Amino acid sequence: MEWTDLIVIAVKTAIIYLGMVQVVPIMLIVERRGAAFIQDRPGPNRVGPFGLFQPIADVIKMMMKEVISPRQVNKALYLLGPFLVLLPASLIVAALPFGDFFTLFDKSYMIQIANLDVGILYVLAIGSLGIYGILFGGWASNNKFSLIGAMRATSQIISYEIPLGLAACGAVLSYGSFSLREMVMAQEGTLLGALPHWGIFYQPLGFLLFFIAAFAETNRLPFDLPETEAELVAGFHTEYGPMDFGTFFMAEYMNMATMSALMVSIYFGGWHLPWISDATLLEGLGSRNLLALLQVLTVIVKISFFMLVFVWVRWTIPRFRFDQLMRLAWKNLIPLGLINLVITALIFYFKGAI
Amino acid sequence: MEAFLPVGFLFIFALLLCIGLFTVKRLLGPRNPIASKLSVYECGVAPEGNARAPFKTHFYLIAVLFLLFDVEAAFFFPWALVYKESLAQGPALLIAMLVYMGFLVLGLVYIFRKDCLRLN
Repeated sequence: MEWTDLIVIAVKTAIIYLGMVQVVPIMLIVERRGAAFIQDRPGPNRVGPFGLFQPIADVIKMMMKEVISPRQVNKALYLLGPFLVLLPASLIVAALPFGDFFTLFDKSYMIQIANLDVGILYVLAIGSLGIYGILFGGWASNNKFSLIGAMRATSQIISYEIPLGLAACGAVLSYGSFSLREMVMAQEGTLLGALPHWGIFYQPLGFLLFFIAAFAETNRLPFDLPETEAELVAGFHTEYGPMDFGTFFMAEYMNMATMSALMVSIYFGGWHLPWISDATLLEGLGSRNLLALLQVLTVIVKISFFMLVFVWVRWTIPRFRFDQLMRLAWKNLIPLGLINLVITALIFYFKGAI
Repeated sequence: MEAFLPVGFLFIFALLLCIGLFTVKRLLGPRNPIASKLSVYECGVAPEGNARAPFKTHFYLIAVLFLLFDVEAAFFFPWALVYKESLAQGPALLIAMLVYMGFLVLGLVYIFRKDCLRLN
């Protein structure tokens, strides 16, 4: 590896990471305007055209507000909490594929930070580290609401990790690989002549499980028990100041984006356009980098769709009760995940590998 | 190990972002602490005791069961990886998995019967 490669890789990493961070301000306005749209009210429309500068105003407000760290907290863990949530949320981005290759100085580079052989295991492993931040933050706040919020968040996230893992296991079973890149590559072209060759048609039940677990893992609304504003003030971040709240908020939206990107890469063909193979596209476009651009745009459109679904669900479905949430995970999703594995294995055994 | 090098870069960038957020918070925000600002916020009511109180063992049980089931689920991954390639060698791997899953389901049924998670 030469030093030019190193520079290109570093710049590429920075661009992809900053791109993912941009999800946060965009989602801030999309979420609030989306909520307003669904509830039939105008929403934030004063700052800039259509309220588009609202995120900037929000960020400035957060920065300029007074920093308070209450007297009763455990200082070190309290300060560490938000960053221990943000770091894992950032690190997952490494495994996500956004496109095939681009060429620069006659060399080709992947449009992905790192093509890890253990891709999906890496995602699951790093993804679950975020709990530590929530638990540290909630416990160190020394506030009963924070503690209850943190306990709920932990038990919810670890419970839904199992169906998430089982759904991912079904995907590994049908692709025969851990690498997200190879999974996307396997989804090119058409299936049975009419359908796009996407993972969802091989793993419909697996996708449903993954989809539900993704909402619980990101603490989004049907499952936002950790921060129920009506009963727990704000849950685990009750005692935090504006910027720390911003950090938790950022981590939550980045987790949403990574979950959407995972669903796109595992079940919805990643960078592939439906029905059209990459070779045909390359012939039509004539340039490798133009194709790369198209692929990145495809991924962004698909991820945006899932982000909109996250917002849509948040403002449509009421919240679960805690025992209902646990019952859903342990009594329904885990058995369904096992059944999904058995069905997939049996189909492969009797029909041969598809 | 070379595949993990960019992950190192990413870690550095993420760390820089964290440090940046921390510094911004420290530098820009005003500080004017008074006693009531620094007290526990529990809906404005004077707090009763502190939060270092015992909590339900229910949560502890969930953690223990998670540990069991997540480790068991993790054993499915290597099996899933090689399953398609080993189809030609007969049903040995399928049967092995079904037996293993049988034990797992037995454990799950036991939890439900004992009502460990207070689901009912």
